Amino acid sequence: MAAVATCGTGAGSTGSMVAAGSKNNVTSFQRRGPRASGSDSSYSRLVSIAGTRPSVRNGQLLVSTGLPALDQLLGGGLAVGTVLLIEEDKYNIYSSLLFKYFLAEGIINGHTLLVASAKEDPADILQELPAPLLDDNVKKDFDEDACNHKTAESNIKMKIAWRYQLLPKMEAGPVSSSRFGHYYDASKKMPQELIEASKWHGFFFPEKSSSTLNIEPCSLTHGYIKLLQFIQNTIYEEGFDGSNPQKKQKNILRIGIQNLGSPLWGDDICCTENGNSHSLTKFLYVLRGLLRTSLSACMITMPTHLIQNKAIISRVTNLSDTVVGLESFIGSERETNPLYKDYHGLIHIRQIPRLNNLIYDVSDVKDLAFKLKRKLFTIERLHLPPDLSDTVSRSSKQDLAEPSKLLGPGCGVMAGGKKHLDF
Amino acid sequence: VTPSEGARGGTGRQLEMESVLALRGLVLLRDSVEWEGRSLLKALIKKAALGGEQVHILGCEVSEEEFRAGFDSSINSRLVYYDFFRDPLNWAQTGEALPGGPLGALQAMCERTDPGPVTVALDSLSWLLLRLPCAALCQALCAMSRQHACRGGGPAAEQLCVLGLLHRELHGPGPMGALSSLAQTEVTLSGTAGQASAHILCRRPRQRPTLETLWFSVLPDLSLDLQGGPPLESQPHPDPHTPQVDPASHLTFNLHLSKREREAKDSLTLPFQFSSEKQQALLRPGPGPATSRIFYEPDVFDDLDPEDPDGDLDV
Repeated sequence: MAAVATCGTGAGSTGSMVAAGSKNNVTSFQRRGPRASGSDSSYSRLVSIAGTRPSVRNGQLLVSTGLPALDQLLGGGLAVGTVLLIEEDKYNIYSSLLFKYFLAEGIINGHTLLVASAKEDPADILQELPAPLLDDNVKKDFDEDACNHKTAESNIKMKIAWRYQLLPKMEAGPVSSSRFGHYYDASKKMPQELIEASKWHGFFFPEKSSSTLNIEPCSLTHGYIKLLQFIQNTIYEEGFDGSNPQKKQKNILRIGIQNLGSPLWGDDICCTENGNSHSLTKFLYVLRGLLRTSLSACMITMPTHLIQNKAIISRVTNLSDTVVGLESFIGSERETNPLYKDYHGLIHIRQIPRLNNLIYDVSDVKDLAFKLKRKLFTIERLHLPPDLSDTVSRSSKQDLAEPSKLLGPGCGVMAGGKKHLDF
Repeated sequence: VTPSEGARGGTGRQLEMESVLALRGLVLLRDSVEWEGRSLLKALIKKAALGGEQVHILGCEVSEEEFRAGFDSSINSRLVYYDFFRDPLNWAQTGEALPGGPLGALQAMCERTDPGPVTVALDSLSWLLLRLPCAALCQALCAMSRQHACRGGGPAAEQLCVLGLLHRELHGPGPMGALSSLAQTEVTLSGTAGQASAHILCRRPRQRPTLETLWFSVLPDLSLDLQGGPPLESQPHPDPHTPQVDPASHLTFNLHLSKREREAKDSLTLPFQFSSEKQQALLRPGPGPATSRIFYEPDVFDDLDPEDPDGDLDV
């Protein structure tokens, strides 16, 4: 059997259906197909770029959002060429954390970053990125935090069971960049050398805005025009849309736009109801066109709780591909609700795109809550805490004892008596 | 959110006042008709001036004489006042007005300040919000702290404090929400029975916002006097039965049955349960098979074998 293609090389053999791993891949699953000897011209659709993998459903190229839990909810990851819209929570704590995870994932995978903000300097944002968790630290932290969706791996001090000593040991490299999703430590910052080794473009709107033009009512605001031009120039010059044939390896452009729609961009949809209501929607429309024709993925955070005209929110949702809403419990009455005491907020998956597909890839869980532990950001299914069952009233069970007397003797001893039948 | 009672000893109160009133960044003083905020604004200005900071004031709502009343002369000489009350549109063309209107004045303030702690008081931010586009005002407020950081050393968050007086009743939720999202601290003035209180919401970056409540009064010489708590005679009795929050109320899955549903469930007889009604129905000769007949016309494709009606014999 031919070797499985790795992420880094552009070998001609086929890709595997399971996540593309390192050379020490433990699985030997392969997709059968005609072997093209040496040339990958017919398989250039499945480009092997670092940090991406094809979706198991429809072969769409996916990148990780930086949170493996969120990747799983979105059907494997964020599709290249689409927009992920995060509706910010009220105090913009958790949405900025997700934004940083997205950028940190790009740095770890070696993607090019484009960071746009009107509030903070992109250089400052990049200094605040969380540090990636190394493989052996991952095990230790999971034991500490007792994550319930990850079983504790075997401790090194324990004796390995009988036959496993014969198997070759998995190497735990410092930062295994060939993995798809990485875990980050929110309490530590990313090492400076990783940031400097990465390639990034920053767009800080107050520096770029030269003059206040007279804007017509239905056109894009000045900030959005500048941002779109910047994105377009970056895509064109760096060759993400295939215009300049890249001699080096193809790469993904990760675009992160922070606080889109806030007044700092010059847009007044957060201030008034009848403002320039088409500017933001036009921006998203043009942005989607730019993204679809290039190898890029975009994450936008938007303070939708400030938008006064609710029709705009639904238009914005339609114009984005994936929409995730964050609702934190800080300051709301839910904070004292005993149901939510284990969590910090709710996460709503509002929309999932249907790309080259007839069905959605939705998870069947609708009640999701998130919790920011000391280091990790976890997303779990919302469930009632166990000590709540005494206070929650239940409807009384029907008294089944009466008719059971009429049952024949073959029904067993349990049917007799006045006891409630407890199934 | 951590509410504090504020009932502490004297020195404790002073320390708390220092920590809570160490206001930096954009501070919104939201007052209302019943609880005015200008006296608190002047008290904070006096505190800043006594602390050796440079103080710049953009006066729009009241005249300069009225604003300066109450400050003693040493403080008055330290205040840099930009008057927009007497001639806001610069019709008199005296030449001493700043170009660019109030926004130009804000920008000029940043250029004229030396590096170091600066307090800028906007009296009032409501006046500016009613006359300027909200987005432009937000951008100007954010630009102020950034420019100040560029000019002097040190992070802008520690150096510049912009106190903005905002009248709650004048604005809709849109502009208020937009300014709240920009502000580092929001002080909401209210009170009970003659005692003013300030609810201070501090939003530090990357930390949970904290909410504190201070009961205060402003003395005639514009110094702040912190009280221990609300006056005792008007303290509302604590609600003896705090309503228990029902945890299962707004879920997507239903844990409770309504009365009708419960009745329907209770009156349901299970199919394999031999109740007395069923027994009577079986014993009683029923209306006959006429009511429960099935009529079937054999189809063209039906090949009914009378010996093997189910068609499962493999013959």
